[in-house]
Amino acid sequence: MKHLPYQDSKPQGAADFYFAINATFRFMVQRFGHDGFVRWLREMGRDYFATVNRQWRDGGLPAVAAYWREFFDAEPGADVDVHEEPALVTIRVHRCPAIAHLRGAGRTVAKEFCEHCYFLNQSRAEESLLSMTVEGGNGACVHRYAPRGVLVQGAGKIREVV
Amino acid sequence: MLGCYDFCGHYDWTFQWIEKNAGKVALHEYWEQSISNDSQAHAAALIVKGGVSGMADYWGHTLSEEAPGGGFSARIDGDRFLVEMTDCPSRGFLLRNKIEFSGDYCDHCIGWIGPLMRRAGFSIHHAHNHQGQCYWEFRPAADGNRSDLEEWKATLEKAWAERGNKIDIFSGVSAVSQKESKK
Repeated sequence: MKHLPYQDSKPQGAADFYFAINATFRFMVQRFGHDGFVRWLREMGRDYFATVNRQWRDGGLPAVAAYWREFFDAEPGADVDVHEEPALVTIRVHRCPAIAHLRGAGRTVAKEFCEHCYFLNQSRAEESLLSMTVEGGNGACVHRYAPRGVLVQGAGKIREVV
Repeated sequence: MLGCYDFCGHYDWTFQWIEKNAGKVALHEYWEQSISNDSQAHAAALIVKGGVSGMADYWGHTLSEEAPGGGFSARIDGDRFLVEMTDCPSRGFLLRNKIEFSGDYCDHCIGWIGPLMRRAGFSIHHAHNHQGQCYWEFRPAADGNRSDLEEWKATLEKAWAERGNKIDIFSGVSAVSQKESKK
């Protein structure tokens, strides 16, 4: 797990923590509004993930691919392919582990759930001199990373969770 | 994506973000509304309905998921439920990774468990030493002290004090704002 910023004593996280992540999204939108929800994610992307951002800035796209492989190995129930090309990393999330666990437990998924991946990871990409996009959502999606200025997030490409 | 592997890290970071942006009262509201009422609705369903049996079901599942290597004991003792953490997986994650974003991470537990136990009719007797060790006695709200449990708790507090740990104590209260601290 050398590409993850923090190490746990067990190989995968406890899936019930997705309950708290989902509930936190609802709280942030209700308490701080959608703008506050976005600001929280962008600041977290810049500050909490600073160590990873430095790895990405120094290591470029190979470091991005290595990080996401390790990241999803540590998330229970994930079904994800990470494809690496010289100027593009594509992450195909066939089964989002969080949304699958929430639905399996009968939880109402926050409709903004899939937006969090974009706002959090776009902030991290900016800090790492990269660009990124998210397409899809609602349980399956595609993330792409490329050098700064190459990728532009298209309007309406992120699905609300229904 | 925010993951569950390093959940305790971004959870702790979020505590300081809420407190910095909206104050300590908002952080306490987050623990009650978002964690106790929303995230942990499954715990409330078990405990409000089943009392100490529900506590055994809840903590039996969650501690075996979070701490498969052990570091805790949790058991029913008559009409009470007792937990002793010797290596908290949550606080331990922060200590091992040298994470300290918020002022007092351990407060989050009473922040969500307190309101739940109030609804379930139990009082909380809890102390933690900020080093991954704590005890919990959940007892029916009308019940008094039991001498063997007072001895158990005093022994733990004495051992922590001898190590120089800062100890926060919650005696018969259910709000995070009602703690007493001693060094």
